Amino acid sequence: MRGRRPAVAAVLALALFAIAGQAVAQPCLIFVHGKQTNTNTYTSYTAARNYWVSGSSYFLRTATKNLATPYYVVGYNGTRPYFEAQSAGEVANEIVNATNGGADGGGRRCARTYAQGGTFWVIAHSMGNTVMDYILGNNDASDPNFNYNGPYDQVAARISMVVSVGGAHRGSQGADAVCGNNNFFCNFIASFIQSCDDATYWLRSSDDVQVRTYANAPAKTVWLTGGYEAIFGASACLSGEDDGVVQYASIFACNGSATASYDNSNVCNNSNKQEASGFRNLDACHENHDDERNAVDSDVRKAIPDGNWFCGSVRCAPNTTVQTSMTTAQYITLLY
Amino acid sequence: MRKSFGIMMMTLAVALAALPSIAQERSWIARETAREYQEQARYPEHSRALKVGETDPVKEKRTATKQTQRGPAGKNDALSVWAGAVSYEVGKPVRLFATVEGGVALEVTGEIVGAAGDLVAMVVYADNGKGVDQKAGDGIWSARLRMPEGLEPELAASYMVKVRSRLLDGDVRESVGGFLYSNPAAHLTGRYRDELRDGNLVIAAEVDVTRSGRFHLAGTLHSLKGEPLGTAQASAELQPGRQWIELSFYGLMFHDRKVAGPYRLGTVSLATTGGMPNALNDLVENAHVTRAWGIEKMTSKPFGNPRLLEAAKRLEN
Repeated sequence: MRGRRPAVAAVLALALFAIAGQAVAQPCLIFVHGKQTNTNTYTSYTAARNYWVSGSSYFLRTATKNLATPYYVVGYNGTRPYFEAQSAGEVANEIVNATNGGADGGGRRCARTYAQGGTFWVIAHSMGNTVMDYILGNNDASDPNFNYNGPYDQVAARISMVVSVGGAHRGSQGADAVCGNNNFFCNFIASFIQSCDDATYWLRSSDDVQVRTYANAPAKTVWLTGGYEAIFGASACLSGEDDGVVQYASIFACNGSATASYDNSNVCNNSNKQEASGFRNLDACHENHDDERNAVDSDVRKAIPDGNWFCGSVRCAPNTTVQTSMTTAQYITLLY
Repeated sequence: MRKSFGIMMMTLAVALAALPSIAQERSWIARETAREYQEQARYPEHSRALKVGETDPVKEKRTATKQTQRGPAGKNDALSVWAGAVSYEVGKPVRLFATVEGGVALEVTGEIVGAAGDLVAMVVYADNGKGVDQKAGDGIWSARLRMPEGLEPELAASYMVKVRSRLLDGDVRESVGGFLYSNPAAHLTGRYRDELRDGNLVIAAEVDVTRSGRFHLAGTLHSLKGEPLGTAQASAELQPGRQWIELSFYGLMFHDRKVAGPYRLGTVSLATTGGMPNALNDLVENAHVTRAWGIEKMTSKPFGNPRLLEAAKRLEN
C-alpha cells in the first residue's frame, strides 16, 4: 500500500504532462457552415452557432471536447453563390480575424494568434467546403481569382488544414433536381435546398458552375469525410451513395463526372480527385446531411479507399466497419 | 499488484487487437499533412510536376463531363447530358448531347435557361447522323445551338440546359446540364517563344488584348511522346494590344521526371478574370514545341515554399 502512492503520483504526473502537451499542440477549430435558405447565419451569431446544434445534440461541444478546445464560429450568407463577397469574402475575413485573436459573434476567440504560433483547423460542412475550395484555390497571385474579394492568401497561409464534412466540392444533384424543377419526387430537406436560389444555382453538377473551373488545387489539405445514410425521396435523385443531399462524387471531391455513382468500396481514392493535389480521404459514416452537422446520430463508420482507419498495420479494406457508434463530431476529436 | 497489472495489460492488448485501430495516435493527421506540405514545398505555387500517369489537369478542367439523372425510385434508366465544351466563345455554335442509359429515347428536347431563370432558347436533339450528330441511331442525341443575338455577356454567363426525354415505354426522364457563354477580352495569337531563366523553362505566349483586364494563363508541358510532365500558370493585368504572358516551368520537374527536351506545350488555356464567372477561351492543344533543352541546365534545387514549410513545422510541434 505504501509503495502504491508514488506509483499513482507518477501516473498522475505523466497524465498531467500528457494533457499539458496536448494543450500546447491543440488547434483552434474554425467552423464554417453550409448552404442556407435565408440570411440568418450571416446576420445572427446565434443562428450560425445553432447550425451545429439539434436539441441537446451539439456538434460544436462534442468536436471541441466539451468546449475545452478553443473555437470560432463563422457566419456567412449561405444564400449567395460560393464566390461572392458575402460568402467567400466574409468567410476569408472571419478566418483572418480568428487567426488574429479576434472574437466571433459570441465572444469566442482562439487561444493563440497566428503570430503567437497558433494552429487553425477549419471544420466545414456542405457548401462551406465549396467556399473553402474557392478561397484556397485562389490564394496565390498566379491563380485566376486571386484574393477576389478577401484575404484568401492570408487564410491559406494561416490555416493548417480543412476537415470537410459532407462537402459539396462538386455541387449537389439535389441542386440539379431543384433547379430542373423535377423535385416533386425528390423532397429535399427544406433547410438546405428549398428553391433554385443563387447559391443553389451555383451548386449544380455542370462544369460551368463548378468551383474547380474557377480555382486551382487547394493550398492546404482538405480531408474528406461524409455520410451515406439516405433520405427517403431525396436519395432517389442522387447517384450512388449519398447523404440525402450530396452524392459521394462530390463529398469525396472525385474527378470526372460529378454525378458518377460511387459507394464505400469504390469511391475515388487520393489519386483521382477533382484537383491533382490537396484532397485526401478520411472515412464515411452512416449519417445523413443533417446528422453530419448536428451530431444526433451516433452510428456506424466505414473505411473507404486511402482512408485513415488501419486494421493492424494495414489500411482497413474499403467498406470495413471500423466503428459501430460514433458521430462525425466524435470522430473529429480523434484527429487532434 | 504486478500480476494483476500484467493481466490487465494483456486483456487490454487482446481487446485492442480485436478492434480495427484508428490510424493515428492523435497526431497522425497532423503528421501526414506536414509530410504532404514538405513534399509540395519543393515547388512554387505557380508550377509543379505531374506524377507518371497523371492526367493533364489543364485539359481536364476544360473537358465537359456528363450530368446523369436516374429515373424515379426503382427505375434505373438514366438520362445523361453534356455539352461539347465547358465554355463557348461568343458567336461560336454550342454543341449539346444527351443519351438514355438503359433505355430507348423517342425524343429529346432542351430549354436553355439563364441564371435568372429566363428562357432564352429551345433545342431539339436528333440522332439521325446529320449535322452535329455523328452517327444515326447510336443512342447519342445531338443538338447545335446558336445563342440569340443580344446575349453577349460583358465577361461570361452561365446557362442551364434543362433536357427532357420521352422514352419508348412512355416514361419521361429529365436532367440538367449547362455551359458557359464567354466573351473573353484576349486571345492567343499562336506565337510562343521559350528560354531558360534561372534554371527554369520559361514559355511566353503572345495574347491580343481587346479590353484591359486581368488574365490567367495555364499550360501543361508534355514530352514529345505526349506524357504530361508538369504545369505552370500566371496571371497578369494587361492593357489593349499585343502582350506576352510567361509560364515558368520550375526546373526541378525535369529532374523528377528525367525527361530531356524538346518539350511540347500540350495544352494552354487562357481566361479573362477579374469577375465571376470568368470568360474562358477555347483550349489550345499542341501549341508549341520548345528547343532541345538539356536537363543539366535546369535547377535541381527544391523551391522551399516558405508558407508550406512553416505550416509543416507548426503541425509537427
